[in-house]
Amino acid sequence: MAPSRFSLKRQLLLWLLLPQIVLWLAGAVFSYRLAGRYANEAVDAALLQATRSLARQVKPMGNGLLIDFPRAAQDVLEADPSDKLLYTVSSPPGQFILGNRNLPSPPAMPASPPLGQAQFYDGELDADDGRPAAPVRVAALYLQFGENPKAQQTMLVQVARSSANRELLARRLLIDTMLPLSVLIVLMSMIVWAGVGAGLAPIMRLRRLVEGRKPNDLRPIELDAAPQELRSLAQAINDLLEAVRHNVQGQRRFISDAAHQLRTPLAGLKSQSELALAEAPPGPLTMRLARVHESATRSAHLVNQLLALARTEPESVTRQTPVRVDLGRLAREVTAELVPRALQQNVDLGYDGPDGDPDCLSASQLEERAREAGMPLDDAPERPVEIVGIPLLLREALVNLVDNALRYAGRGARITVQVHRARGRAELVVTDNGPGIPEAIREQAFERFFRGTHEGNGCGLGLAIVKEIVERHGGHIALSGAQPRGLRASISLPLAG
Amino acid sequence: MNLLLAEDDAILADALCEQMRASGFTVEHAPNGAVAQYLLAKQQFDVVVLDLGLPMVGGIEVLKQLRQTDASLPVLILTALDSLEDRVAGLNAGADDYLTKPFDFPELEARLRALLRRSRASKASTELGQLSMQRETRSAQVRGEMLELSPREFDLLDLLLTHQGRVITKEQINQAWSGDRAGNAVSDSGAATNAVEVYIHRLRRKLEGAQVAIRTVRGLGYLLELERA
Repeated sequence: MAPSRFSLKRQLLLWLLLPQIVLWLAGAVFSYRLAGRYANEAVDAALLQATRSLARQVKPMGNGLLIDFPRAAQDVLEADPSDKLLYTVSSPPGQFILGNRNLPSPPAMPASPPLGQAQFYDGELDADDGRPAAPVRVAALYLQFGENPKAQQTMLVQVARSSANRELLARRLLIDTMLPLSVLIVLMSMIVWAGVGAGLAPIMRLRRLVEGRKPNDLRPIELDAAPQELRSLAQAINDLLEAVRHNVQGQRRFISDAAHQLRTPLAGLKSQSELALAEAPPGPLTMRLARVHESATRSAHLVNQLLALARTEPESVTRQTPVRVDLGRLAREVTAELVPRALQQNVDLGYDGPDGDPDCLSASQLEERAREAGMPLDDAPERPVEIVGIPLLLREALVNLVDNALRYAGRGARITVQVHRARGRAELVVTDNGPGIPEAIREQAFERFFRGTHEGNGCGLGLAIVKEIVERHGGHIALSGAQPRGLRASISLPLAG
Repeated sequence: MNLLLAEDDAILADALCEQMRASGFTVEHAPNGAVAQYLLAKQQFDVVVLDLGLPMVGGIEVLKQLRQTDASLPVLILTALDSLEDRVAGLNAGADDYLTKPFDFPELEARLRALLRRSRASKASTELGQLSMQRETRSAQVRGEMLELSPREFDLLDLLLTHQGRVITKEQINQAWSGDRAGNAVSDSGAATNAVEVYIHRLRRKLEGAQVAIRTVRGLGYLLELERA
C-alpha cells in the first residue's frame, strides 16, 4: 500500500466491516442450506406418504401384482401440471409395471435393499418431448410381495416430485431471512462508520490544529477532551514544539544580541566617516570616503531594520498589550516627524485625513473632501479612526511606509499620507508620484531582502516589516499603482469596537 | 554651550566630540559612569548625552543620581538598547529624549538644540538666518531692525522658532495663544483656524528679508526653516 493511501479510518472500517460481510455471507449460505433441508423434509414426508399409499394399492396376486389404482386417484396425483407427482412401480430387475418409465433409478441397487424403508434422493427427469431435464426429488420404497414367504419378490415403488417448488420455497425462505439481516448489516455498518468517525474525530482535530498553523506559530497544541492515546501524541508534539521554540528563540536572541552589539561600532564608523568627509579636502580620497560613509549608513540602516523585524516576532509582541490607538493622530505625528527629512530631500510630504488641518489643504483637496463627505465644508465630522494595536509597532510600520516612499520616490516627489474609514475598516494610504513598482514584482516587494531597484539605499526589509506588523494586527497591505504615476501602499486594519 | 558626553566606545566618542565641537559645543568626555558622575558634580553643563551601557556605573544609575541634585539639566540617552522596556526605564529615570545608535549626527544635533531651546526658553534669545528674537523683551529683529509684532504674532514666532525645522500644528498655536496674557479668548475653533491663517500670512510678510521661510505642510501645520537658496 502506498503510504499516501494509508488511512486509519479506511483500515478500521475495513476490519470492522469485513467480518460483518463474512457473517452476512455465512448467514446466507447457512440459511439457504437450512431452508433447503426443511423444505426437503416436508417434501420427503409428503413423498413418503404418497409412496406408502401407492404401495398399498399394489396387491400381490398369485405370482403377479394387482394394482388397484383408480383413475380418479391417478387424476388427483397428476392434476397439478407444475407440481406433478410422478410414480413408478417396478419389480427388479427392471420389470416395469406401472407409471412413468423415465424416473431416475435409485443411486445404486443394493445387494439387499432395505425393505420397507424409504430412500430419498435427487435426480433428473428426462422429458419425452426434448425439454431440458427437470430436477426432481424422488422417494423410493422397496417392498416384498408374494404370498409364498419362500418365494418373495421385491417391488420398488418410486414417487417423484419436481424440485422446482422446493427450490422456490428455499429461495423465499432465504430472502425472508436475508432481507432483515441485510438491513441489520447496513444499520450496523452505519453505526460502525459513525463510531469510527467519532472515534477518529480527535485525530482529525489534531490534524487540523497542526495543518492550520503558520510556520512561526510554535505555541503548544491545545487538545481538549482527547482520548489518552492522542493526549500522549499531542504531548509529544508539544514537547517537540517547545524544543523548536527554544531553539528558535535562542537564535533570535543571538541575532538580536549580535545586532545590538553591532550598533555601537557602526555608530562609531558612521560618525568617523561623516567627520572625515567633512574635513577632507575635495579629491579622489573624498570619493572613497563618501562610499565608506554610504556603506556605513546602509549597514546602520540594515541593523536597525533587522532589530525592527525582530520586534515584530510573536515573542516580543505578546509581551506588549494592545491599546486603542487613534490611527489618524499617529499618522499625523509620524508624518510630522518625517517632514524635516522630506524637506531635506525636497519632497513635499503631507497628510490628508478626516482629522487633518483643513486650512493646510489645497483647495482641490478641500473640494474633494466635501464631495466625498457629501456635506458643506467646515462641517465635516471629526470622528477619530480608532484601532486596537501596539502603538510602537504601528508607528514602526508607518515610519517604514513613509520612509520607503522617501527613499524610492525620488527628489521633488509628492507624498501624501491619508487615513480614513473604508468599508467598515480603518485604512491608511501612502501615495507617492515616484517611479512606482512594476505590477509583476509587487508581491515580491514584501519578501525580506527583496529590492525592486538598486536606486536608493534601502535594505529590502521595510515592506516586510510593515507586512509583519499589519498582519499581526489582523490587517492586510496592498500595493497598487497611483494615477498618473507612482505607488499607492494601503494598509487596512479592523476598527476598534 | 557645555555638553557632557558619557560614552565608553572610544572611536564613537572621538568622532562625536569632534562633530559637537564643530557644531559649537564645548565638550567634556567621560569614558565611564564614575567619571561622568565626577564631572557632573564638579562642572556646570547645559546638556548631557548619556550612554546606558557605561562601565563602572551604569547610565541609568548616573541619571537617577543626577536627578536627585538637578532636576532640570536636559539629558539625552544615546544607546544601542531600543526595546520598549529600555525606553521606559530611561524616560522614567528622568531622561528628556532617547536616541538609538546608530544615528545621523544632524538628528542628534537637532534634538540637542531642541532640548536646549526648551530648557532655556524663558531666558535665551534665539536666532535663525537674519532673524533674532529675545523672549525677555518680547522683541524680534530682522537684520537688526526691530519688528513690530502684536502679542499673538510674537507668540506665534516664538513657537515657530522654538520648534524650528519641525512641524507645529494649529492646536499647538491655539494652545500658545490661550495662555497669552494679552490675547483674546478664542470664540470657536472655526474662527481660530482662520485666525491662524491670517497671522501666518502677516508674519510671512514681516519676515521678508530675514532669510527664513514659514512653510505650510499639507494637512499638518507649519514649519519654520532657513530659506533655501
